[in-house]
Amino acid sequence: MRLSSWLVALSLFAAQLVPLDQAGFERMVEVHRGKVVLVDFWATWCDPCREELPKLVSLQKKLAFELITVSADEPEQEGAANALLEREHVLEPRYIKRSDDDQAFIDAVDKKWSGALPALFLYDRKGVRIGSFIGESDPAEIESAIRKALR
Amino acid sequence: MKFAFALAASLLTTLAIQGQEFHLGAPVSDFQLVDLQGASHSFASLKGDTTVVAFIAVRCPVSNAYNQRMEALFKDYSSKGVKFLFVNANVNEPTQEVKEHAQQVGFTFPVYRDRGNVADLFNAQVTPETYVIDKQGVLRYHGAIDDSQNEARIRKHGLRAALDEVLAGKPVTVAETKAFGCSVKRARPHRATE
Repeated sequence: MRLSSWLVALSLFAAQLVPLDQAGFERMVEVHRGKVVLVDFWATWCDPCREELPKLVSLQKKLAFELITVSADEPEQEGAANALLEREHVLEPRYIKRSDDDQAFIDAVDKKWSGALPALFLYDRKGVRIGSFIGESDPAEIESAIRKALR
Repeated sequence: MKFAFALAASLLTTLAIQGQEFHLGAPVSDFQLVDLQGASHSFASLKGDTTVVAFIAVRCPVSNAYNQRMEALFKDYSSKGVKFLFVNANVNEPTQEVKEHAQQVGFTFPVYRDRGNVADLFNAQVTPETYVIDKQGVLRYHGAIDDSQNEARIRKHGLRAALDEVLAGKPVTVAETKAFGCSVKRARPHRATE
């Protein structure tokens, strides 16, 4: 194995997802005030989530919003989740839920949310949630909601 | 013309949101399911028995993580007179695939298809997602089977706890729970834009 391959392997090993609990989620939204934020809840087991990731990445190249990913994977899948985000060139911040109580976590994000993935939540510059996309969504609809928020 | 389209779209959205008819603590009306051989079955024919309605999937790894737990629930509670309606409401999973999956997994319970609006009536959003209807036809529990995809980390057995209370004639302590899962692939996508 060449040194460069070792370095890549090492950097993948070193890169970890940031653990996030429900209190952390609320702080995270607060910290990003001033920006339009799209929070993407996804998981390695969720096919439509994986299909959606590259679309969100290309949208981020086009529009000035912050994309935050939160993996809903179990701790055992953290490595796989991280590798997938690397492969799809998803930028940080990249989180993974760490909660003893998924229900409390889901409710902290949105009381109306069932926990179904994919789930996208759009926040305006004031940190107010202005939209959500649950299940498979039309990328054009997501783009138009972000454009509206950026106006 | 544009206005007419907008009006039609907003009416459709309103209808989609108002599609849910069954609510916790209230009686459910009759609904129809189709078995994998194509025969229709009505919920009314089960009335009088405590019933579990569970929305499941073929391609959802979370639903599949619960296959053995569903089988155990079916065995444990069928013997106590509980009826089970396992429903696949996903439009992207053909009946042939549902049949083959049930055989491969070795389900000993029947799986039904939602050919109408049953997922809408229950407002089912995620697989697996379960409901308990008591002998009087009142919806008493809505939510997850338990609180962890990984059996080793289960702390709360939401569905079993609710079933035990309903069977004992007691009020359900925790009537609603949530867990991460796959979205139900319904004919009409759910949108919740506030």
